[in-house]
Amino acid sequence: MDSPEQKITKTVSREDASKESMANSRHVIGIHFCGPTPLVWRADELKSARELGIIGTLVGSLARQPRQNTRLGRPLELLPEEGRLLADMGRAAVIPDSTNEDPEVNPEQVEQYHAGLENSFQEQGAMVLADRKTTLLRVMTEKHNEDSGSQEDSDGAVRDRLEALEHGFSFPRTAMAVQLCTARAGLSHCPEVRRFLAADWPTPRDERSETRFRVFRDLRRQGFYLTSAGKFGGDYLVYPGDPLRFHAYFIVVCISMDESMPLCDVLAIARLGSNVKKTVLLCSSGESQEDDREEVVYTSLQWSGMV
Amino acid sequence: MIVELQSPAGKFWQTMGFSAHGKQCLHPEEALYLMECGNLQVFYQDLPLSIQEGYERFLYSKTMSIQHYQVFGHLKRLGYVVNRFDPSSVPSQYERQLNLPQSRDRSGRLPKRKHSHSPTSRHTGTQEGPTSKRMEEEKDCNREEEDKNPDSLPDLSAPDIDEIQTASHVDPTTSTEGGQGRSWWSKEGSPEPDSELPGQPQSSPRWDFSSIPFPDLGSRRWLPSSLTSPDPCLLPGAVGSVGACDVAPWLQRLNLREVRMSRREWEREQDRDRYRRDIKQDREVRRCRNWAEYQELQERRIQRSRRDRPAHLWEGPVTPLHDPAQVTSTGELLDKISVIKSTRLLEGASSLKGSEEWRICFNIYQPDTVAEFKKSAPGKPYSRMCVCSFDGPVPDLWTLKLLAFQSGDVPVTYAVVDHGDISFYSFKDFQIPTDVSF
Repeated sequence: MDSPEQKITKTVSREDASKESMANSRHVIGIHFCGPTPLVWRADELKSARELGIIGTLVGSLARQPRQNTRLGRPLELLPEEGRLLADMGRAAVIPDSTNEDPEVNPEQVEQYHAGLENSFQEQGAMVLADRKTTLLRVMTEKHNEDSGSQEDSDGAVRDRLEALEHGFSFPRTAMAVQLCTARAGLSHCPEVRRFLAADWPTPRDERSETRFRVFRDLRRQGFYLTSAGKFGGDYLVYPGDPLRFHAYFIVVCISMDESMPLCDVLAIARLGSNVKKTVLLCSSGESQEDDREEVVYTSLQWSGMV
Repeated sequence: MIVELQSPAGKFWQTMGFSAHGKQCLHPEEALYLMECGNLQVFYQDLPLSIQEGYERFLYSKTMSIQHYQVFGHLKRLGYVVNRFDPSSVPSQYERQLNLPQSRDRSGRLPKRKHSHSPTSRHTGTQEGPTSKRMEEEKDCNREEEDKNPDSLPDLSAPDIDEIQTASHVDPTTSTEGGQGRSWWSKEGSPEPDSELPGQPQSSPRWDFSSIPFPDLGSRRWLPSSLTSPDPCLLPGAVGSVGACDVAPWLQRLNLREVRMSRREWEREQDRDRYRRDIKQDREVRRCRNWAEYQELQERRIQRSRRDRPAHLWEGPVTPLHDPAQVTSTGELLDKISVIKSTRLLEGASSLKGSEEWRICFNIYQPDTVAEFKKSAPGKPYSRMCVCSFDGPVPDLWTLKLLAFQSGDVPVTYAVVDHGDISFYSFKDFQIPTDVSF
């Protein structure tokens, strides 16, 4: 605990303020943009997204262990294709940024906040008092059980302390635990309001994003799980199941149908794939002649020895 | 965007934050990191911010986007000390050579000496000849003219002198100790001062060729019998005045017969001349004021056309590159035939202009220096970080040179952010060893 001179409360715990039920699987996932990056903040929405096959990456500090990089916490950063797919499926909605609204102080909310703080303070005070009492009582009973001899003095001391507690206990404000929310509390988490506020997905700017999205959607439709593959020189890594349980099978490189790829690029990516024991998929999206639907064409590169 | 602390800072103050207007403040990324660690609660409009609101409020600009914050957070969680990069804090190469003690506080630096006129322009007046004085600071030279002793001027009419002195401003800071010598090119000396005078003391003096007669003896239209004596000021010093010149003996030495060409010859000449550019019409040549400038122009034109070709291979007559009878060492021979010369990363980097897209974002200091780390004297960083992503362009040689130069002697690391995944790349400058014994 900190010295009483510290005016700012140092002990903070992070918990989600919402008590909404997590069993609601038709829940619309709220996507918040931070710049051009789509993020998902609420724990239940993260779960829904995972159940829909959208993996994303956790990029925030883990609340319990903030100073390590092996396990990170919320927010979940989505690939733009993942967000777009969710929005197209109707399972997610873009919540517009409300940081610039309401430039003035909202006195109601401030009052509510302070009332909440006061409640919490009282509760915590009561809890701490009860906690200390039980500790002392336990000490007393332990002493009773251990020595049979001269325990009257120590007993008396403990009883004195108990009495002192009853009368003069005060829980200092500086020792209060304060909640620091991860996700934003407020109207925006209510699903009906969310659907109302939802904005459109930002349209892609170029052919490349469109190709990437089509490839993503097609692979997802076939049941694969995809994550980003910048480190492998490709666009996506394709897993047959949840990435936590499988290794990736393919590295997907999205190119446009009529783009010619220089031979050294093909060799480079094939070499890379063989080094990491994955098959390289060259994917392009084009119009299919038969049923006038978009079709994605796949070419796989695999290094094979001469037999 | 700044976060102000309401209560005294804790342990993090040793490596993060700064003081402004007497208050302790934090940068937005530092505040957000402390919020995520649970060490700080930030209030806006009297309400505490959640982490989500912190992200949305603090990470809006291009200088501190979510990618930058991800790199910042990643390194801070590993224990590094990460600060924002300030280009002015990089000591220049000269400062590094001087090895001055570095202090972050700029007021601690020695005050710069005020710029003073170079002493050469002051002291060379009396000792050295007037021409050398002209070759140095021409401006100072011109300015010093006004301070000259009027008695040393030749017999020019008084109004000319007055015009000169009022047209150009007298600079009181220029000392007059060297002002006795007379410059060959001074305005007072030129024969036709009125055409050049109006307020141009700073431009180089020009001869007014329209007033200096250049007789064209080859012209058939006008054949004077004799030429008048030229102005003594145009002649070299000791010659003085020469008499009129009789033209007749000179004309005898010239071939003044008219050229008669056949029609075919005339057409051939026309064809040849069609594509020949008249040098008198060439604007750049007309701008040359004297022979030296014309030679410089020629030199520049040759350079332009031969820019890609190494001079030691393309200039000069065609000869064997090396005579085997000549004894040279292997090293010299390799040098002779080398077409590509090796270069270092920082070569030519000082002339590169800044870029909007690529900048150094952070200074990184190693974790084991945290105990003695002082914000006022952080020392040399372990590395400097530039944040980019796989979606953007790969840094090209121009960017590498620019950032390496901006960073001074600290290596630059490129942090590539790929949707939450961070990879670090750095480019090392090294020389391929030459396997030659000299």
